[in-house]
Amino acid sequence: VSSANVISPRLRQQGIGKSSDALLGFLLVLPLLVTMVGLVFYPLLATTWDSFHRVNPMQQGTPFVGVANYTRMFSDAEVRQSWGNTFQYVALAVVLETVFGVIAAALINQVKRGRRWILAAIVLPWAMPAVVSGVIWEWIYAPGPGLLNGVLLALGFDYENFVWFNDGTLAFLLVTLVHVWRMMPLTIVIVLAAMQSIPKDLYEAACLDGASHPRMFFTITLPLVRGAIAVAMTNATVYAFNLFDEAMVLARNSVETRPILIQIFLEAFKKFQFSYGMALSLAVTILSLLFSLGFVARLHKSTRLE
Amino acid sequence: MRAPLFQRILVSAGLGLLLLWSLVPIYWTLATSLTPTIEFNVRPIHFYPEAPTLDHYLRLFGISAANIGGVNTASQFKLALFNSIITATGATFLCVIFSLMGAYAFARLEFPGRKVLFYAVVATLAVPGYAVLIPLFRIMVSLRQIDAYFGVTLIYVTAYLPLCLWLLKGVLDSLPRSLEEAARIDGAGHIRILLQIITPIAAPGLTAAAILTFLGSWGQYLVPLVFSPKVTKPLTVMIPEFVGKAQIDYGLIMASGTIAMLVPCLVVIFLNKYLISGLLAGSGK
Repeated sequence: VSSANVISPRLRQQGIGKSSDALLGFLLVLPLLVTMVGLVFYPLLATTWDSFHRVNPMQQGTPFVGVANYTRMFSDAEVRQSWGNTFQYVALAVVLETVFGVIAAALINQVKRGRRWILAAIVLPWAMPAVVSGVIWEWIYAPGPGLLNGVLLALGFDYENFVWFNDGTLAFLLVTLVHVWRMMPLTIVIVLAAMQSIPKDLYEAACLDGASHPRMFFTITLPLVRGAIAVAMTNATVYAFNLFDEAMVLARNSVETRPILIQIFLEAFKKFQFSYGMALSLAVTILSLLFSLGFVARLHKSTRLE
Repeated sequence: MRAPLFQRILVSAGLGLLLLWSLVPIYWTLATSLTPTIEFNVRPIHFYPEAPTLDHYLRLFGISAANIGGVNTASQFKLALFNSIITATGATFLCVIFSLMGAYAFARLEFPGRKVLFYAVVATLAVPGYAVLIPLFRIMVSLRQIDAYFGVTLIYVTAYLPLCLWLLKGVLDSLPRSLEEAARIDGAGHIRILLQIITPIAAPGLTAAAILTFLGSWGQYLVPLVFSPKVTKPLTVMIPEFVGKAQIDYGLIMASGTIAMLVPCLVVIFLNKYLISGLLAGSGK
């Protein structure tokens, strides 16, 4: 039984209902606000503030150090390499997920019956914990009893005891592959939804004009799902910047595959360089936002034209 | 309008490849979890278990303790499974309730600052979790919530609140108001309207929000790695630790992996419609 229940329509007319509405509104948003302020807004301010100080539980005091934590990341070789790795992950993952995701969506769009089940099968890799997909693929890549080497052997290649993770570049590509396996379903779902909202009569008209299927794909489908592709690319970018689980499970702390998030984790929770870790995490946040804003800006441009 | 034969063959072949790419790793996990340890030494490898066994599952749950590093692993596993269920379920409940209350207030009630507050909360969608991880660690240390269920559950809640709020406010905005107005004329208050009218109509949206929060919390790794090191350690932190051991027991790892992916699989199979609608709403479309 609420306080709003008690107020009669007559009281409401006198304006008391309105202020009780406001009170109820505050009460309803209170749990949400308290959690968000305590565990997101305040920590975000603290990150920004502390990144200009030296915060280290092993050292006394938190003196102001200016932008030292920010300039340090340019001279730190390990950090520079992890930045490089992260940019490569982002570039490769976004390209692979977009190209194959759009192709996959176009294929599923052709299916008339049982699309529900195909979609369920496609979404599965996205739905499971990233750690589990990391473990699964580690077992697939394993030398000896692993599936990959087993298949190559069955096809006649002598790969039985080949160790895939001995080579840094190969390891990097294989981690990317696991990430793409996990995140491509999102691209497929977004692009497929846009494809299904294209009116059928557009295709019928084009068909009467004698257009071939590939031609219709490039002149009708692709231009009309451009906005959705931009949205999918934004998501892919943010998730690739956030890559952590797959790399951690498959290659531990290896420098060749280490993305910037693992670097931050090591700086903060192994070396206890809290403020350096905070400066790094703010930098990643801002960069991933800028990249995604780039796609969003293009999206707005494309929708204004249509 | 029928595509030429070779094009239809091309489409089918493409779809086949796509399904193989998605499902083979999942099949292989299941197959491995049913393969007796001895068969891992066979070369060339078998692509299916010749003599399927539930041995790994029995060992995992401590029903049979043969060929294992002790019953210890079983009790650890059961605890981790319990921890995953508790934190993910708790986060889902809190997140859906908080965001439904918030969405109703933001969509239906006039109060000062409601626009600013709504957009401030939703804007944190763009803030990745790691940006606040280190200060959160210091907060949780001072609140003694390291390795405690409540702390880590609340962190999951904050991760999915903006998304759920955005989703549910969208649902409420699109609902016709006539039912609510009729209820108000009959003297129903806001709380009754929220519980008896909004909640049933918005059930699909609530389901989508709950699924996204549950799957997300169930799969968390970095957060529990920092905040749940021992007693509250979930499956996601425990499973990779199996790999780190000197003697890698792949049967056991794949059995635990199968259990960890069982819940997501059930959700995808039975609630895919809601999951897809949630994904689309969450992607910013």
